[in-house]
Amino acid sequence: MSEFEGASPIAATNLLDRLIARVAMLGGILALVVAALVLVSILGRWLFGAPIPGDFELVKMATAVGVFSYLPYAQAQRGNIMVDTFTGWLPARTNALIDAFWDLVYAGFGAFLVWGLVQGARDSLKNGETLMQIQLVIWPAIAICAALSALLVISCLASARRLLSSNA
Amino acid sequence: MSGMSIALLGFAVMLGLIALRAPIGLSMLVVGAVGYSTLSGVGPFMAYMKTNTYHQFANYTLSVIPLFILMGALAERAGIAASLFKAAEGAFGRFRGGLAMAVIGACTAFGAICGSSVATTATFGRAALPELDKAGYDRGLSTGTIAVGGTLGILIPPSVILVVYAITTEQNIAKLFQAALIPGLLAAFFYCVVIAIVVRRNPKLAPDVDARMIEPSVKRFWQPYLGCALILGAAILALTGKMDFSNAVIIGVAGFTAATASITVMPALAVALIVVGGIYGGVFTPTEGAAVGAISMLVIGVVTKSLSRADIFEALRQTAVTSGMIFVILLGAEVFGAFLALSRLPTLAAEWVGQSGLSPYMVLILMLALYILLGAVMDELAMILLTLPVFFPVIQGLDFGMLPDDVAIWFGILVLIVVGIGLTAPPIGLNVFVISAVARGTPISATYRGVLPFIVADVIRLGLVVAFPMLSLWLVRVLS
Repeated sequence: MSEFEGASPIAATNLLDRLIARVAMLGGILALVVAALVLVSILGRWLFGAPIPGDFELVKMATAVGVFSYLPYAQAQRGNIMVDTFTGWLPARTNALIDAFWDLVYAGFGAFLVWGLVQGARDSLKNGETLMQIQLVIWPAIAICAALSALLVISCLASARRLLSSNA
Repeated sequence: MSGMSIALLGFAVMLGLIALRAPIGLSMLVVGAVGYSTLSGVGPFMAYMKTNTYHQFANYTLSVIPLFILMGALAERAGIAASLFKAAEGAFGRFRGGLAMAVIGACTAFGAICGSSVATTATFGRAALPELDKAGYDRGLSTGTIAVGGTLGILIPPSVILVVYAITTEQNIAKLFQAALIPGLLAAFFYCVVIAIVVRRNPKLAPDVDARMIEPSVKRFWQPYLGCALILGAAILALTGKMDFSNAVIIGVAGFTAATASITVMPALAVALIVVGGIYGGVFTPTEGAAVGAISMLVIGVVTKSLSRADIFEALRQTAVTSGMIFVILLGAEVFGAFLALSRLPTLAAEWVGQSGLSPYMVLILMLALYILLGAVMDELAMILLTLPVFFPVIQGLDFGMLPDDVAIWFGILVLIVVGIGLTAPPIGLNVFVISAVARGTPISATYRGVLPFIVADVIRLGLVVAFPMLSLWLVRVLS
């Protein structure tokens, strides 16, 4: 029974890990799609004198969405640069506690980002803001970024929890 | 409390947070947010975040970062490094220490398709280290050479660090890429000279030439030299208007064929020439060049069957982690920079340095010395993002007898050189850590010993570029 109870949170974390990795992978594929779009646009410009309309702005939009899709994964992989030179002498448990604390701070910032992006998306929806060259509304892109920031918050909380529960 | 003292306090607190294991991007965010709110109130900061978070990342120039990382990550796995190394063996194989020089030569070419020093180091650690071992090279020399060769990934354009510099200081990426080329090639040349000197002084480090059995893919050693000379000559003549563009292209292609003479390296070098040449010639924006490069690498890898589906996914995964890491720091630097600008510290620092009576070159040398010290103990990307908001206005305020834009480009190249030194210098050299992870069983101190003579060469090169700004600015002039 206890074994069973112990297994379920780990499974949930694994599910979360998989989701975060998938999202980052989609972001990577988005980078590839951007590259292809730019290439087609260049070819269109050279061969037919007609680039893809709005290519410049589509790249901008995709860059923002791509970036936000990478953040939860970079956090889950502990890819964020930090300096451990000065705390090397502390016991591992203390360092894990410190790291968990910073994960929580980062989660707080992520929540702040969610708030800002939700506001930004709402304003954009209200103004009916579109790209300059093509009639594509911007707010869904901002809303996706908000959702991805929410995933960042979850990713930070999950890694904090992992640190707190490890060899306690 | 004045804005100035708040800013200085902010710097101190941020360094404290970094020492307490806070991720660097996060500490800049926290201090920037608190500082901004202190100086102009919480309301304006909220408004700033609301409008800025999306639009800061929805930026065409920034798109170049994930694209260059993707291009390098694909190149890393497409087996290109190994074929470049084989080709370079043919060119350098006849010298003592030739295989080590071949690493430098191949890294130079690889640097033109990869903008990251870590990726270059890791790639050559896998592609070249086993060959160097087999030939009987001393491990310290081998790992040191690869760690230093890895810096050519950023020294030779394209270069992610230069893109970050360009974005932070609002300079033209293409011009910075142009300015980096000659100092980058000079680095490769100096590294080869260092290898020649080191193995001459201690012949035990490298095997006798005859003792090695190499099967270079280029049979005639002079071919690559002739080819490169033809390409460079044609480029210079065409750019200075002494030759028709079409003739230059024909000679360039002839040179290219001579240089490679091997079907395996031709696609990689072609991509390098198209991407770097296209950005230099203004045919592409940097984003377009990166996109063309990434797709070409993918196509080459798939056609030559060197990229499996797993490789492609791994490249995408790596793009996500590395870009994510860079963007967190960029976001932090943006908020921190906005706080510093509000505090007027950069302007005041520039005024203060201007009135201090120090000569401009003295200030520059002090800054570079500080960069070398900082680079030895901290991450280079974070180092330049932390310091540029203050250092750059100071440099721009000094009179070097050049136009401010020229100074900005020149300073960018100097920063790039010191970043390269920081990547290999003890006690914290990222490239050395990367190669140590590949070369298990080699003590890290051996690698640092191997790296030291190269650092001497780097410092000499830094002095040359400081003394002769034309080394970086000449190509920019010619191409504009």
